[in-house]
Formats: sequence, structure tokens, C-alpha cells
Amino acid sequence: MKKTSSKKVWLAAAALSVAMTGASYAQQTIKIGISGPFTGGSAAMGVSMRDGVKLAVQEINKAGGLLGKQVSLVERDDEAKNELGVQIAQELINKEQVVATVGFINTGVSLASQRFYQEAEIPVMNNVATGTLVTQQFKAPDHKFNYVFRNAANDSIQSAMIAEAVKKAGHTKPAIIADSTNYGQLGRADLEKALAANGIKPVAVEKFNIGDTDMTAQALRAKDAGADVVLTYAIGPELAQTVNAVVKLGWKVPVMGSWTLSMASFIDSAGANGEGVMMPQTFIQLPSTPKRKAFIEAYQAAYKVDRIPSPVSAAQGYDSMLLLAAAINQAKSTDGRKIREALENLGTKIEGVVTTYDKPFSATDHEAITSNIPVLGLVKGGRVVPANPADLEGDKALRVKPKA
Amino acid sequence: MDLSLRGFPLVRVFTTMQNFFQILVSGISVGMIYGVIAFGYQLTFATSKTLNFGQGEALTLGALVGLTVVNFLIGMKLGTFAAYLLALPLVFAFGLAQGSVVEWLGVRQAMKTKSEAGWIMATIALGIIFKNLAENIWGKDPLKFPSPLSENPLTIMGVNIRPMEIAIVLGALAMMLAVELFNRRSIYGKAVVATSNDRDAAGLMGINTSLVITFSYALSSLSAALAGVLVAPITLTGASMGAALGLKAFAVAIIGGLSSGMGVVVGGLILGITESLTGFYIDTGYKDVPGLILLLLVLSLKPAGLFGKAAIKKV
Repeated sequence: MKKTSSKKVWLAAAALSVAMTGASYAQQTIKIGISGPFTGGSAAMGVSMRDGVKLAVQEINKAGGLLGKQVSLVERDDEAKNELGVQIAQELINKEQVVATVGFINTGVSLASQRFYQEAEIPVMNNVATGTLVTQQFKAPDHKFNYVFRNAANDSIQSAMIAEAVKKAGHTKPAIIADSTNYGQLGRADLEKALAANGIKPVAVEKFNIGDTDMTAQALRAKDAGADVVLTYAIGPELAQTVNAVVKLGWKVPVMGSWTLSMASFIDSAGANGEGVMMPQTFIQLPSTPKRKAFIEAYQAAYKVDRIPSPVSAAQGYDSMLLLAAAINQAKSTDGRKIREALENLGTKIEGVVTTYDKPFSATDHEAITSNIPVLGLVKGGRVVPANPADLEGDKALRVKPKA
Repeated sequence: MDLSLRGFPLVRVFTTMQNFFQILVSGISVGMIYGVIAFGYQLTFATSKTLNFGQGEALTLGALVGLTVVNFLIGMKLGTFAAYLLALPLVFAFGLAQGSVVEWLGVRQAMKTKSEAGWIMATIALGIIFKNLAENIWGKDPLKFPSPLSENPLTIMGVNIRPMEIAIVLGALAMMLAVELFNRRSIYGKAVVATSNDRDAAGLMGINTSLVITFSYALSSLSAALAGVLVAPITLTGASMGAALGLKAFAVAIIGGLSSGMGVVVGGLILGITESLTGFYIDTGYKDVPGLILLLLVLSLKPAGLFGKAAIKKV
């Protein structure tokens, strides 16, 4: 008995000292969490996002930080695994006591993890995950306040763009090839809806599992159904397998799909077979505005690369941190409720890489990116370039969210 | 316009046949990979009635070692094809060594103590260790394996085949043929066969059965490593590439029967071809289902496998 009670005292003392050092540390810096996959098939997106966020934090700290304090980042690798994302969310909230979190690349991880932020009343900014459901999980009227925000082009925006491009090019018989994850299947549903809105019905809808090595059956079914365009919803390595199978069949068919076709793991492993595929992009690595030029140069200098592994993720990561910083400054507080309120009523214009944010969020609208912002990108010479260069020329280069 | 509707049904029949053969060919190349891995299960099961549950990881390590060697040789200004050929003996040697380590650490002790499940746990544990090792050395990202042959498809009688797919089939057959020849013609091979037939009797005849079992593990990992370098150029290489393949090959070993080398090859082909045919003719979402149904059927109707001999265990 005596032994256990003394053990308990020690434990309590230890816990107290940890809590106290934690608290005193929290007073010196403003802690922001980052959750994303830094290893595995989605790593290119996760790492670029993280590096974008870091650039923004360096700039903020150089300019004096927020509320007179420096910003520090707590990075956690969720490996694109739902269960790991859930653990990390609880660790960031309870142990690290972050003020807010940015990140989430994978829709599944985002949907599984963000309820902890909602319950703890801490804002979370989805900067890459695109599932349409992400910002609707806690929307009114079921929930009084929604703590989930996003600055990425969601799947319904992307599918609408793809469907429109299909129609514009005069294709009438698309085939959809998607993976069996949350991302692939929710995206496929959005895509079918968007095509139906344009009066187009896919002639084939095919599926594969992550890790499948041979997509001949899927490609051949699409070809045999007489498809005149192949639409994809999947991630890098399997997308490469898909276009490899299409090319193997000697089938000359245009390929379009969600923004993941810009992933370095797709472009590099598909090689020549990936040339010419098209996808929606919120950001293309081109200095089309002064802000973009500065961002690209800063990224290249900081990380010693020429090609950003996932330019979209890097730009959206950078912007997500700017949005959050503006809200913390406006709230003059690190209280989650006040930051959420500030995000919903941002008074200043924020010049980001993707766009200039002028009242990007409201109490009912938590999506900063609208359908007019992304442009179609095209893989050419191992890089993503605008499919229609005119899209990013002159005053069209900066596309802003229309006023509500 | 549409020839098939205007009195030329032959065109339709021709494309249908062409599709069938296209799917058949891709099923055969996938099935051959399953077959080679399952062949590794069969090798050790024959001599020791145990198998390596870390076979998928042996495949991963083989592919990753191959990748490093190939990239090193390409760095030495060698052509991809020459680099690949030169890398093969090193990959084989690595496979032999890795298999011996598995037997030595995981299986020998369990067999000495006549433990029924010890080797299962030990080989699974070693598999996990090897996977973590691979993650630490090569990282968790999928890597591209330079293809030794052209990536442009060949058209043979209307069917498009990647040269690497042909190499998979030929390489797998050559490996299995070499092992069969070794077993039948050489004195050492006869020792392996004798140990497979009756280990106690073979031991009484002066055969070092424990060495034979180590050798069969070495050969088993070699076949997995070969499967790894064969499949890597048409997919991507990475620490997790072997997990799904190892499991599929296990199903193949059960369908074909663990006591027959011929059986696992046919089992591999059956599974690969059913997967492709189901994917094409029924639905790509149900690709894996018929293989699993077949597995259940075999287990309930012919537990020793389609080509296996039912063994009577005397207690």
C-alpha cells in the first residue's frame, strides 16, 4: 500500500512539473500543429505542404511574430493513416496544447481526426485535403459553430472543372478509373454528378486497390466500352500504373483527372506515358504575380530544389499559415473561439500565393477557394504548365473569390 | 461506319478474341509472380514442414538490394540491361544469405524443441524486422526501378505485351526448371529429395538434414528475391511492396498444394488469370473475390491443394 501511494505522489509531481514547463513554454511561443504524411505514397504532398508552412512561419517570425511572440511549429507525420491521424490530433490538442492546426493531405485522415479539434474548440485549417465532406462534417444547424476551415479546391469544384473540360473538348464517352480509398470513391461520386449535370454519362466506371500492380483489365474495359477520354481519381504511384496500362494497350486517349496528377511520384514514374495529362491546379510553378515569384524563389532557395515536389500543396500550405496568422492578430488572442470568430470576419486583405483573400470565410462558408480560382494544368516535359497559357496572363493571373 | 453492325461481325469476334488474349497474357504474368513466391513456400515446406511467413519481405529486400546495385552500376556508366544482368548474381547471393539467416534465427530452434507454432511467430517477427530495416535504409517512399528492357510494348498477333512481362514468365520458368534439374540430377539434390520424403530415414542414411533445411530456406528466399527484381521494373519498389504479394502467394500455395512444385505454378496461374478475367468480364471492384472463393472451396473439398498429396499424420 505504502509503496503505491508514494509512487502516486511521484507521478503527480512529475505530471505537475511537465504541465508547468508546458505552460511556461506556451507563454513564450505560439504553438501551431502540422499534421500530414511525410512518408509513403502521399509524402510529396505532405512534405511540400509542411515546407510551405515553414516558409510562412519564418517570414512571420522575422517580422516580429504574432502578438509579440514567436510562432513555433509542432510537426507530426500521420503517414496518411486514419488511426495515426486520430492519435496525433489528441496529442497536439492535449499534450502540445496547440493554438490551431494546419494540414491534412488525405480526406480520410481529415474526416477521422478533426472531430477532436471541433470538440476542443480549436480551429483546424485543411490546406490540401479535398473531399467535399471535409468542411461539412460540423456545419450548422447540427453544430452551433464549425471549427473546420479549408483553403484547397474541394472535389466538387475539381469535378465540375473536369466535367466542363470534357464537354468543351467534345468528348461524350468518358471512362472513370478511381482507387478504392475514401478519396477515390468520394471523388468518383462527385465526378459522376458533375458529368450528369453536363448531360454526360460515363461508359465505364472502374476501380482498383492501392498497391495493385497491373491495371490492364481496368484500361481494357474502358477501351472496350468505347471511351474517348479517361478520367482518374487516385494518387501518384497507381495513377502511373494506370497510364502505363493505357499506353501498353496502344490506346491513344486523352487522360484527365483530379489535381493529384500533378504529383511528382506520378510524373516521374509515368515518364513519357504521363505527358499531356490534364488536371485542375490552384497554383502552377510560374512567376505569374510578384507574390508567386517571391514564393517560388524563396522555396527554391530554402530547400535547394528547382521543381517543387507538389507546388499546389506548398502554395496552399503557405497561404493557410498566412490566413491563420491574420486571424490570430485580429483576435488579439490565442483562444480557439476568438480565432474562429476572426477567421469568419477577417478585416484585412491577405495577399497569398494562390489568390488574394478578401473575406475568404464567413460563419456559414468555410471554403476559401471558389470554382473560378483553379486553372487547368498540363504535364509537359516532366513539369506542370497551364493547359491554356492565357488563363494566367495579364489581369487573369490573379483570380479572387467573388463577393458573397 | 460501324463495321460490326454492317455485315462484318468478324471484326467484332476478332476484337473480342483479342481482348481475351490481352487479359490472358496479363493474368499469366501476374500469376507467374505469385507462382515464384509460392514456389519458395513449397521449397521449405517440402524439407521441413515449415514455411517463411516473411516471404513477402524477402521479395522486398531482394528488389531493394537489386535497385541499389543497378543504380550503382548505372552510375558506373553501364547500360541498364548490363547493370541488371550483373546485379542478378548479387541479388541471388543476398537472397541465399537472407534465407539462411531466417532459418538459423527463426526456424532451427523451434524445430529442435518440436514447437508447433514457434516458427510461425518467429518468421512473422523476422519479416517485420526486415520490413523496418528496409524502411530505415531505403525510406518509405516508392522508388522507380530502371527497366532493363524497353518500356514500349510489343504487338504479337494483336496482343500488346511489355517486354518485361515476357521476361517475368521466362525468368520464373528458368528458375523453377533449374531447381527441378538440380533435385533430379545432382547428388545434393537427391539429398534434398530424400529429406523431403522422409527426414528421419534420410538422417539415418548419413544425410545432414539440418544443412538441407538451411539450404532450402536459402533457396526459398532466393526465389522471392528473384520475384522481386522481376516485378520491380513494371511496378514501383518500396518497403511495403511485398506484403500484398506474399499474401496472394500464400493463397496460391494453398490452392496448388504445398507438396507439389508443379502445383504452385499452376495455382499461381489459376489465381492470376481468374483475377484478370474477373476484372475484365465481371467488375474490376470484384477482382479478388473468385480467387478467395476458390481458396475456400479447395480448403473444404481438397485440403491438401489441387495437386497435393494428402498426408496422414500419425500421432
